Amino acid sequence: MKKIFKAISMVAVSAVMACGFAACDGGGDSDVDSAGNTIVKIMFHVDERSTEGQAYKKRIDEFNTAYKDKKIKASASYKARTTGAAGYETELINKQVEGTLPDIITFDAPNCASYANSKLLYDISSLVPQDVQDDFISLNKYNGKLYGLPIQESSAGFYYNKKIFDRAGIDVSSYTVENPWTFDQFKDVCSQLKSRGNVTAAVDMRFDATRDETATYLLYPFIYASGGTFTSEDGFTATGYFNSSATQSGFQFLKDLITEGYSSYSIGATDFFTGKVGMYLSSGWTIPDLDNKYKETFASRDDWGLLPYPQGTAQASATGSWCYGITNNNHKDKSAAKELLLWLTSTESSDAITTATGMIAARKSVNKNYTAGSPEDVLLQQLQLTGKARPATVAYPTFSTCFNQIIYSLKDGNLTDLLTTQTNTLQTEMNRIKN
Amino acid sequence: MAGSTIIIFAVFLAFFLGLAIWDLVRAKKKSLRYRVRSSATAYLMLLPAVILAFLFILLPILYSLGYAFTDYYLLTPNDIKFIGFDNFVTVFKEIGEKGTLYHAIINTLIFVVGVVPLQIGMALGLALFTNRKVRGVKIFKVCFFAPVVISLSVTSFLWLQILSPAETGLLNSFLGMFGAEPHDWLRDPKTAMLCIIILSAWQGCGYQMLIFTSGLSNIRNDLYEAAALDGANAWQKFKTVTWPGLRPTFVYIIITVFIGACRIMTQPMLMTGYQDHTVTLSYYMYTQGYTYRWVGYSSAVALIMTIVIGTITLIQRRGFREK
Repeated sequence: MKKIFKAISMVAVSAVMACGFAACDGGGDSDVDSAGNTIVKIMFHVDERSTEGQAYKKRIDEFNTAYKDKKIKASASYKARTTGAAGYETELINKQVEGTLPDIITFDAPNCASYANSKLLYDISSLVPQDVQDDFISLNKYNGKLYGLPIQESSAGFYYNKKIFDRAGIDVSSYTVENPWTFDQFKDVCSQLKSRGNVTAAVDMRFDATRDETATYLLYPFIYASGGTFTSEDGFTATGYFNSSATQSGFQFLKDLITEGYSSYSIGATDFFTGKVGMYLSSGWTIPDLDNKYKETFASRDDWGLLPYPQGTAQASATGSWCYGITNNNHKDKSAAKELLLWLTSTESSDAITTATGMIAARKSVNKNYTAGSPEDVLLQQLQLTGKARPATVAYPTFSTCFNQIIYSLKDGNLTDLLTTQTNTLQTEMNRIKN
Repeated sequence: MAGSTIIIFAVFLAFFLGLAIWDLVRAKKKSLRYRVRSSATAYLMLLPAVILAFLFILLPILYSLGYAFTDYYLLTPNDIKFIGFDNFVTVFKEIGEKGTLYHAIINTLIFVVGVVPLQIGMALGLALFTNRKVRGVKIFKVCFFAPVVISLSVTSFLWLQILSPAETGLLNSFLGMFGAEPHDWLRDPKTAMLCIIILSAWQGCGYQMLIFTSGLSNIRNDLYEAAALDGANAWQKFKTVTWPGLRPTFVYIIITVFIGACRIMTQPMLMTGYQDHTVTLSYYMYTQGYTYRWVGYSSAVALIMTIVIGTITLIQRRGFREK
């Protein structure tokens, strides 16, 4: 009995002490290891085993070799971004709450404003040399200050099946980024596809992709191309912008594509790839799929092409990808983090990572020697000439939900009512954050 | 946060210690040494469970209760202000203006009213079916239980394929054989919640079937024999023997299914996204707390929801109490 009593006492005391120590550990991780290396922690948004994750890992290993003498060591963690409760952003926010943020994080470009506004991100304007800043196609700024450097860039466009186009007698060879097709010409092509293309739908506009950011990312340029916008410059006013007549005309164009039978919510995920649909709106990440999968439909690049976004009263195309940012964690000295940031955004890193991912390099000086007129060249040109970012607002998560809800209800809903409701929701959220 | 956790933990430990001392003083045994030893043994044995309950049940409830009265924004955890009942005012304003919260309440009510009888009815039917001594019944039992062990995410994606709005969707192509037009089951507000109710009842009923089966095995066989001797038919046997015998099991099941139904989130999240016609209270809370980052407001909704569910559960328990 005595022995049992002693054992229980020891376990209980150990448990109490362990809880006490755990509670005392408020995230004050040491930033110097036993060998005297300054540790720079970084968290990536992809699985370590993925192609992209492997590319990051390789660059981190190379950094550790190159900075061995300077006694700086990078320590990377990987948390894949998924839909739903688990995932990268949840992990990031938990770390912010716990006070254990790594020195560098990756973040999706539209989150820049809210992360910067809540001081999660550190102002890196003075850390990044001007010539380096000038070499980026885009930068992640908020209130004039630099908070992030893009890992890579993205753009989207309309992939089309050349066999179907030939069958329908449609010639789109004259539509380029510099000489884009208009909204009317876009509808005309859809009409011809519908009548002569023997397709189940003319174009897959991805109207069904409203459960995550996909629909917002692919469809927001249509609003800008119609002369519309979403928020004021400071990102705190939606009323008068999100529900303006120009914005409504952009959504109306999308709605017309459904009501006129050119697109729908019920297009199967592989319908374009199996030759049932004429065009497919997607980003650059579809290129490897077309090159390597679906050989029955697309045996070679001669069987498909890429068209830019159509032009309304203005030209606009999708941009934005993930970025690196230094956090406002408890490490005051950011010099080691700066070294790693500049290493990961160097032309060598940019080249290595985009070679692995197939995306467009974020730095202008990374010459990919794309063949003129190739899909990659179309995306790069479009990015440089017509790329327009999603609205920089601290209420971006709400904006994204509102946009998705409009797209979701586009077919049956009254557009004016939809825009009024969603504008009110967004404005309420903006006011809450501002106050 | 760590500081306040330690303070709460210290208060809790002091309370626990106070209870131990109180017990020691009130003990009837005369020997002080024996009293100390027996009380200390009992309380030390309790301590690990109490610590775990404190960390994973009591502490989150206390924090949530506290946050409900603050303007806690997830990205600024070091800048929390006490705002009194403002969050609760916003909750009732949102309901009054028929905002998303209003839809979330209505949808949750529809889901609860639909899924509780359906799931329990299916579970009872399956339990009665599999309780018969028939060859091969174990295979049916495994089949009926299989959806329970599959994750909700997987079953949701599976049902997305079944309910696909395309002509090639499983349900649409089946109905198409009878000349029906393809239907967008999850986008149509009239059918979306119904689909989620059916999917949830199908997914969950296997677990309740097992509990009902164990309840059925506790009913003495001689009662059925006596009923048979009295000339009772199958329905009369069910009404007078099975149902009264299953009553305690039924009360447990109805309470747990009700509480589980009130917390539905995964299915609408994965199948339709954040839409007014399918958003539920838990999904609303999650979106407000994590996606929009308003932890304070989300906690206020959670607090109200806890009070409402707790009250209904108490009423249920009272209603089903043996007279």
